[in-house]
Amino acid sequence: MNKTAFIALFFAAIFPALAQDAPKIYTLPSPFDRYTHYLATARFTGAVPLGSFSDSYISKSSFQNFSASLEWVLRSSPFSVGGEVGSTYFKERLPRALYVNGNETISAVQTRTVSQYPIEVFGNYHFLGKASGIQPYVQISGGVSILDYMVYYGSLSTQDQKIAPKYGIGVGSKFLFKKDGSFGVDVRVKYNGTSYKHEYIENGISSLDGSVGVFYRWW
Amino acid sequence: MLKKASFILLIAGLGFISCSKDPVSDLSTEESLVYVTNSSKSVNFKQYKTFSIVDSVLVVENDRSGTALTEIDRSLLQRIITNMEGLGYKYVSPKSNPDVGINAAWITNTYLNVASLPLSSYYGGYWGGGFGGYGYGYPSYYQYYETSESYWLISMLDFKNPNTADSTVNVIWDAQIRGSGIGSPQHIDRMVDSVFGQSSYLKIN
Repeated sequence: MNKTAFIALFFAAIFPALAQDAPKIYTLPSPFDRYTHYLATARFTGAVPLGSFSDSYISKSSFQNFSASLEWVLRSSPFSVGGEVGSTYFKERLPRALYVNGNETISAVQTRTVSQYPIEVFGNYHFLGKASGIQPYVQISGGVSILDYMVYYGSLSTQDQKIAPKYGIGVGSKFLFKKDGSFGVDVRVKYNGTSYKHEYIENGISSLDGSVGVFYRWW
Repeated sequence: MLKKASFILLIAGLGFISCSKDPVSDLSTEESLVYVTNSSKSVNFKQYKTFSIVDSVLVVENDRSGTALTEIDRSLLQRIITNMEGLGYKYVSPKSNPDVGINAAWITNTYLNVASLPLSSYYGGYWGGGFGGYGYGYPSYYQYYETSESYWLISMLDFKNPNTADSTVNVIWDAQIRGSGIGSPQHIDRMVDSVFGQSSYLKIN
């Protein structure tokens, strides 16, 4: 066997093996680049009350907040749009105190709560491509919040329920577990505001929320 | 595929919504008590010197009434006397023309309520927030439920300045004691002390 024939045989043996190991997937862009795809995220959120909401109603941080979102990641565009529904809950207990209103004096342990069920649409702008393992984004959102304001005096309660407008602006990033994979972690910091005015809440409900979520994407 | 997935996601979202909470389930009996006092600010209590008190507690239950003098009622009346004396009033018999009279009543009201559920199960948890402990009737659009509340009512009447024209006496101070622990005998003294304690304007000595 001469030298040329030997080299030819060597490559003939090697090339099919290489082709089987790594099909020519990277000669095509990722399917997440080629198709508009869907992305679902479930988040757990910690929220810190801000501004007048914190000063005059509840200043205690809340860790009883959850949300789920579904988004459409648009083909050949850095944008995605979607919807998010969630549940947020603030609560603070005040020790026994006197509440004077005209000729009436009430002595009670006050428990202040506000629950919200926000329903929003949002738009994301992504700074890096869809195949990237780290995908930072900025987000703007708007919608309504089904709101339940309750103040308990001892075990007695006063309540106000309303559907109020809400909005938010945030920054975050997606981290894929695997390049081109379907699963990943989503981290987001977001300012959330709800237009609402009742009794103790004079100028809306605002909070800074930090969330950690897991997402799944598919096409 | 997409439709199915979105649907499941929506259901998961609504699942969060229907979790309802009872934020006051962890209150102790003492913490659950609420003391509400009202007074006529125009009245100068220094004009009164003597008081008397009913010899039993008036029990009012939805328009029907009677009197009772159980152990807890006796403790309540006794503690009111102690507090009034501490504030400087002299306890006299009802026959000796007291300046003020004190009534004590145990009032129970039962209400039939209706809640409408405009979007059925979706709103279950939402409306449910206000009616801790009541279940949701998902299939119906209207839901009836009964609430019953009891409270102590202590009233102070002005016998010194009766309205002769219409034969009435003015209530110059009243106190309501509400909450889940109001029937506990061990808290009676604290309840009565609290309502007098937060009404320092009653003091005449």
